[in-house]
Amino acid sequence: MRKSHPIRRVVLATAATVSGVVLLLSLKPASDPTSAAAAGGAAAQASSAAQDTPQGGAAAAGSGTFTGAVAQTEYGPVQVRLTVADGKITKAEAVQAPKGGTSDQKTALSVPKLNQETVTAQNAKIDSVSGATYTSNGYKQSLQSALDKMKASAGSGASSGGSASASASASAGSGAASGSGSGSTATQARTVTGKVSQTEYGPVQVRITVSNGKITKADAVQAPSGGLSDQKTALAVPKLNQEAVAAGTAKIDSVSGATYTSNGYKQSLQSALDQAGG
Amino acid sequence: MTTTIAGGRAARRQTMRRIRPRRSPAVPLLLAVWAGAAAVLWLWWHNTPSIADTDGKILNAGRITGLLAGYLMALVVLQMARVPALERRVGSDRVARWHAMSGRYTLSLVFAHVFLIMWGYALQAGKSLGDIVQQTIDSINQLPDMGKAAIGTGLFVLIGLSSIGAVRRRMPYDTWYHVHLMTYGAVFLTFWHQITTGNDFALEPIAKTFWYGLYGAVTALVVWYRILTPIRLNMRHRMRVEAVIEETPGIVSVLIGGRKLHRMGAEAGQFFRWRFLAPGMRFSSHPYSLSAAPRPDMLRITVKAIGDHSARLRELRPGTRVWAEGPYGAMTASRRSRGKVLLVAGGVGITPMRALFETLPGAAGDLTLLYRANTTQDLALWDELAAIAKERGARLMYAVNSPDGERPDISAESLRRKIPDIERHDVFMCGPNGFAQGVYEALRGAGVPARRIHHESFEM
Repeated sequence: MRKSHPIRRVVLATAATVSGVVLLLSLKPASDPTSAAAAGGAAAQASSAAQDTPQGGAAAAGSGTFTGAVAQTEYGPVQVRLTVADGKITKAEAVQAPKGGTSDQKTALSVPKLNQETVTAQNAKIDSVSGATYTSNGYKQSLQSALDKMKASAGSGASSGGSASASASASAGSGAASGSGSGSTATQARTVTGKVSQTEYGPVQVRITVSNGKITKADAVQAPSGGLSDQKTALAVPKLNQEAVAAGTAKIDSVSGATYTSNGYKQSLQSALDQAGG
Repeated sequence: MTTTIAGGRAARRQTMRRIRPRRSPAVPLLLAVWAGAAAVLWLWWHNTPSIADTDGKILNAGRITGLLAGYLMALVVLQMARVPALERRVGSDRVARWHAMSGRYTLSLVFAHVFLIMWGYALQAGKSLGDIVQQTIDSINQLPDMGKAAIGTGLFVLIGLSSIGAVRRRMPYDTWYHVHLMTYGAVFLTFWHQITTGNDFALEPIAKTFWYGLYGAVTALVVWYRILTPIRLNMRHRMRVEAVIEETPGIVSVLIGGRKLHRMGAEAGQFFRWRFLAPGMRFSSHPYSLSAAPRPDMLRITVKAIGDHSARLRELRPGTRVWAEGPYGAMTASRRSRGKVLLVAGGVGITPMRALFETLPGAAGDLTLLYRANTTQDLALWDELAAIAKERGARLMYAVNSPDGERPDISAESLRRKIPDIERHDVFMCGPNGFAQGVYEALRGAGVPARRIHHESFEM
């Protein structure tokens, strides 16, 4: 039965809440130390992957996939991979992009746009996506590095005709699968792209990297985008990729809330596995 | 005035057996609530690697307020689930005050959350604060379950407005109550967007499971204690109005009969929420204290005609079906510590005091009742009180205004003069807020420790 002071209580509660929230926000670092460390590892891995990625191309021009250097942004690392055929960029994608917190939304929003712009522009002079400036800048940096590699490979491809033609014939033979054999080490890493699977929300296409008969990496080169789908894709695809690597087969669990995408993914994954096996 | 109920001897013997003071579980409960809030903040902390610029800060402030609002919303509903541990041990009045306080706070968090998130999204999309309305419309259209959340938030606005003091006082209680019941709908509608768009739940199966668990548990408690328990109680006891008796002008007693009423476990000092199935009364229920120790075949409430509902009570016909929920209230014999007891009643606040006066364990001379009223005519139930005092060897005092309207002196000095060892008493108190506040201060001044003053008040 103490005296109640309603006004004092309101002022106290407001002050406590506001200062608590401000304190929490200010305690968070501006850039993520753990993801930077992880990115360091990823960068090392990526650079070796970049070496592994063969510059399989036709005699005159560069073909194959080229992965750019990791660009660090305030929100996390960005890394771009280009698929090149006959010296033209046919596809651009981000193999790393900021994740977690609000970054998921930004990434889902900006990366598809940046990919498209890259294919259209064929160079690194692309517009930043408003609201995702940091990601855009990181993307452009990594893109430039991938383009540099592509140019270098085009040069080497032209000079050393012998080895290039060997892998070119392999890639020509595999047709839909953009085969990229690696001769530099003992492991036989191969990238196989599954057939496009149409879902109600748009096409899904899965690419897997197979090494020694095991899936070492899976990603979706196409997935539903636009509207709600961006969020669902951002939610489901990373999980499905993970599951595919873990399972080694197309018998993976659907992600709840993204059933169509999951089913499309599984179909395309199965087709990729069929190609890899055959 | 008629003596309408007698024979609390058996009931007294029953309560005599347990004179062990029970602590209110309020402190451990509050600790658990704080621990839960800390866990929710940790979830945010764990899922947020870094925050870079202004829009990130605003968005994350929105996420924190949203998470806390989602957590507290479950507790706000839980407080009104009529869980016996809260109603009978912490005390219905205290829990209702918690509910009002935390409800206001939670709604403020909800509105802050909506504003901050939409502002943050607008900034992120390269727009400014001015585009917040457009951003809100876009988000409702594009994100899952946001339409539901928007409707729910609209309901929250309505509920919040109707609970502002000035608005509520102008509104009939029933209207306010039915607006307030929409909270369940609003909570349901706003729940889903937390799961599907909340970063901390959409991507974290464990957190999602816990969130479902929290809301599921609250739902189960509401269904059990607000719906199933009252149905069982009323099916079993089948209560009806036996008689309505006018005690003093404006104060009536209602006698309620039923089967095996002692099995309800009601104690002196407690109340039920009563709904009389008579025309114009069946849609609202009101809390009235028992004004006598419960008997196996009979309960009694005594009510002063102050509102619509209480004024209609005098027209109740014998035989009217009664729907009761309870017993609730923590101001029972189990609150007292060892030693003497002073009961203080202001006006119609005599009702629970009358029941306690009859049943509180104690030897002759241990018990004192101080009854404050405007005039001696307003001293309802006086004859009964006098009879109990005589039988138990208890002291009965009254304080009324002097003939020229002067208020009686209830101060630390006068209390100590009348009851020299007052600081060794437990005090039970019931009456209007202003009266209770004055008596409380006088008691503290006379040296009664705060923890030995037991008071229940339903004025917010």
